[in-house]
Amino acid sequence: MEKISVEKLTFTYPLCETPALKEISFQIRQSEFIVLCGKSGCGKSTLLKHLKKNLIPYGKRTGEIYYEGTEIEQLNDRKSASAIGFVQQNPDNQIVTDTVWHELAFGLENLGLPVKVIKRRVAEMTSYFGIQTWFRKKVNQLSGGQKQLLNLASIMAMQPELLILDEPASQLDPIAASDFLETVYRINRELGTTVIISEHRLEEVFPMADRVMVMDQGKILAFDNPGKIGAVLAGDKPGGEHPMFYGLPCVMRMFQHTLRDGEQSPLTIRDGRLKMEALLAACPKEKFPNICKEAFPENKYRRKHALRKGEKTDSAIVLKDLWFRYERDMPDVLRGLSFEVGKGEWYCLLGGNGTGKSTTLKAICGIIKPQRGTALVDGIKVEKGHEKELFNHRLAMVPQDPQALFTEITVEEELYEAMSDMEIQEEEKIKKIEAMLDLMEIRHLRKANPYDLSGGEQQRLAIGKILLLEPTVLLLDEPTKGLDPFFKRTLADILGGLRDQGMTIFMVSHDIEFCASYGDTCAMFFDGELVSEADPADFFAGNNFYTTAANRIVRKWNPKLITCEEVQKWIREIM
Amino acid sequence: MRKRQGKAVCEFASFHPLVTALYYLLVIGVSMFSMDPLFLCATCAAAWGYAFFLKGKQNVRKNIIMAGFVLVLMTVVNTLFTHNGETVLFYINRNRVTLEAFLYGLCASVMLISVIMWLESFQILMTSDKLIYLFGKIAPVFGLVISMIFRFIPLLKARYAEIAMGQKCMGRGAQTGFVKRSRQLIKEVSILIAWSLEASIESADSMAARGYGLRGRSSFHLFKLTGRDGAALVFLVAAGSVAVAGAVTGCTAMHFYPRLASGSEDGWKMLAFAAFAALLCMPFIIEMAGDYKWKKSALKN
Repeated sequence: MEKISVEKLTFTYPLCETPALKEISFQIRQSEFIVLCGKSGCGKSTLLKHLKKNLIPYGKRTGEIYYEGTEIEQLNDRKSASAIGFVQQNPDNQIVTDTVWHELAFGLENLGLPVKVIKRRVAEMTSYFGIQTWFRKKVNQLSGGQKQLLNLASIMAMQPELLILDEPASQLDPIAASDFLETVYRINRELGTTVIISEHRLEEVFPMADRVMVMDQGKILAFDNPGKIGAVLAGDKPGGEHPMFYGLPCVMRMFQHTLRDGEQSPLTIRDGRLKMEALLAACPKEKFPNICKEAFPENKYRRKHALRKGEKTDSAIVLKDLWFRYERDMPDVLRGLSFEVGKGEWYCLLGGNGTGKSTTLKAICGIIKPQRGTALVDGIKVEKGHEKELFNHRLAMVPQDPQALFTEITVEEELYEAMSDMEIQEEEKIKKIEAMLDLMEIRHLRKANPYDLSGGEQQRLAIGKILLLEPTVLLLDEPTKGLDPFFKRTLADILGGLRDQGMTIFMVSHDIEFCASYGDTCAMFFDGELVSEADPADFFAGNNFYTTAANRIVRKWNPKLITCEEVQKWIREIM
Repeated sequence: MRKRQGKAVCEFASFHPLVTALYYLLVIGVSMFSMDPLFLCATCAAAWGYAFFLKGKQNVRKNIIMAGFVLVLMTVVNTLFTHNGETVLFYINRNRVTLEAFLYGLCASVMLISVIMWLESFQILMTSDKLIYLFGKIAPVFGLVISMIFRFIPLLKARYAEIAMGQKCMGRGAQTGFVKRSRQLIKEVSILIAWSLEASIESADSMAARGYGLRGRSSFHLFKLTGRDGAALVFLVAAGSVAVAGAVTGCTAMHFYPRLASGSEDGWKMLAFAAFAALLCMPFIIEMAGDYKWKKSALKN
């Protein structure tokens, strides 16, 4: 029997004209691992929420949803609570109690189980997840990744048969995300739990999936083996790709046009490497060496760096020998950090968690005061008393959580609020708001509440709000966190445009692919200082592990190719 | 965080929450109704001693300043504003300043200081999970609510820090002037409220998804009532009832006006004091026994 069966589900939110889900039908079998992907706002979350009784949104609905043959709404409350587990996006918001052990027991308490039974189940779960060491910790002492694992564990303690995860790893750093997704995979393999997961990190989940469901504008575009999805989205001829194609894992896109009919796409780096070997073996020997010597393709975003190499431009940000620790008897977080960011440069600071990247941002903003060393922005020393000069049309930062900026009830008022301290004419302000709505492509949302926007839209609004302060140096803290691949491209275009107008962009990020594709300079932050700094091609060519998926596949033959587009072009030429 | 001086983990803390709760209820309760110097000196010494044992030097300075302030303030105020009492020390503007009023102020302030110092060690021993357990005993929902409060306080703090940082990054951190600064504060708080309300929708979903609201919720905890806890409870009830009976019958009281007089006759009072003193000594004996056992077990290995 099918675990889940959906028949002609159509759903419209109240006050909306277009349905969020249109005539959706599909079946999911016992113990399948299903990946759900699509642009944000395509109806993924709405669909997932329909699979859990208490979370079904209000609105107009037609069609049926069955869980093991019973209509979801007819399920017994107790059964529905324990049989279907639901993990949401934000690790913090899902945690209810103050300690790890209490959180693990929360669901079981609700079921009214006696203390002895709860203890046994909690013990089992803790051991299975390997989280004994933080069993007695307070939840606020956990990292984001640990919090999300805790959420998963506390749901698994209820022994669900179906696990639904709505972008569970989008707020996590890459290593924590991998860990989390591996755990979900393990649950599926070892316990036979049926899994439905929506996720933007397709590189990691595609190889795990039995089937992939691609959604677009409330409809199912494709529902098939992961290896066949590429063919469906690629269209018949080059240029005819569905926009969703660009969201697919790099390995799949790279080789799509080399696949013969019916051949499945490679899904992992290993498969990609093998595919590449096979392609090159078939490639005529005399053609091969030339291609390898070829300079790497032009990339419009690289232009600035070449320019900078030739002539020394002014520096927008200068850090000189910065030392900092949070408390007297704590270890140093910054250890003699020095670097310069040129005017009009897009500088990406990469590095693992807890290495001090965010502390660096704080030092540039003057939020922390380093014990030694100086920070200069446009030649102005960052210290107390200089705030007026520093922040007046010069320095601004977009925080990691865009919600930290929102005060108003509509998008346009939110933008207006940014200029509340400025002494300019009212008409002038309105003009600027209009321009910003267009620049950020949020004109259609001007009357919406900032909290009703999707993650990507909120990010755009936050950046728009900060840009109204007209900074010349823009600092960004993990700007791509939680964004879908499509909006990342839009964001890159927006930031690229600003940079071309002379703005300096300094971002701290985990997102290797994004920095490789769009940054002018990438730098690796480790143990309180920079260990390497170069333009993306040189930077990633010099790395072995810390590099893009595309680069890992072709680095043996051409280490300077780092983005998927470059590799695609290269493959086209040798074919 | 700085490493805490004194005992981070103590033996008394490992007792069942009921023992801790009953102990402090008795000790603080009897102390609050004590005006007799004998009782006061004992409870005051024990309170300071135990707080010092748990926290080390860390807060001693702060506490001494606090105690000195309370002592001076209460004594001076009572001496100057109460004119009861037989033994006149001197006159100020034809108002009598009496020895009895001075002593009353002194005793009342010592009582207050003792209670504050007991609370000092109480807040170390009574960790949030013990509190949650105790309230959960009354009704599961109380336990949960307290637990949620302990969850949300640090969360809100962290959020507020992020908001303040966000505002600072917009150059709004360095506002000058009272009006501008308070407007900025209101703005930050309003962001905090909006953000938290929005987040709480997700929390509610997460609770509902895990079956919150089903009938017959139980309350899980990690505490075991062992034989040792049982013995401690029996002792507390026995010693406690004598001490409380003493307090009720006025053994711990002291009459100040018009002249000093003890609350009751000697035999019964000494018995009540002995019970109270036994109560006061309990944590010290437990700690010493724990230390001794630990050292013995460490030697064996």
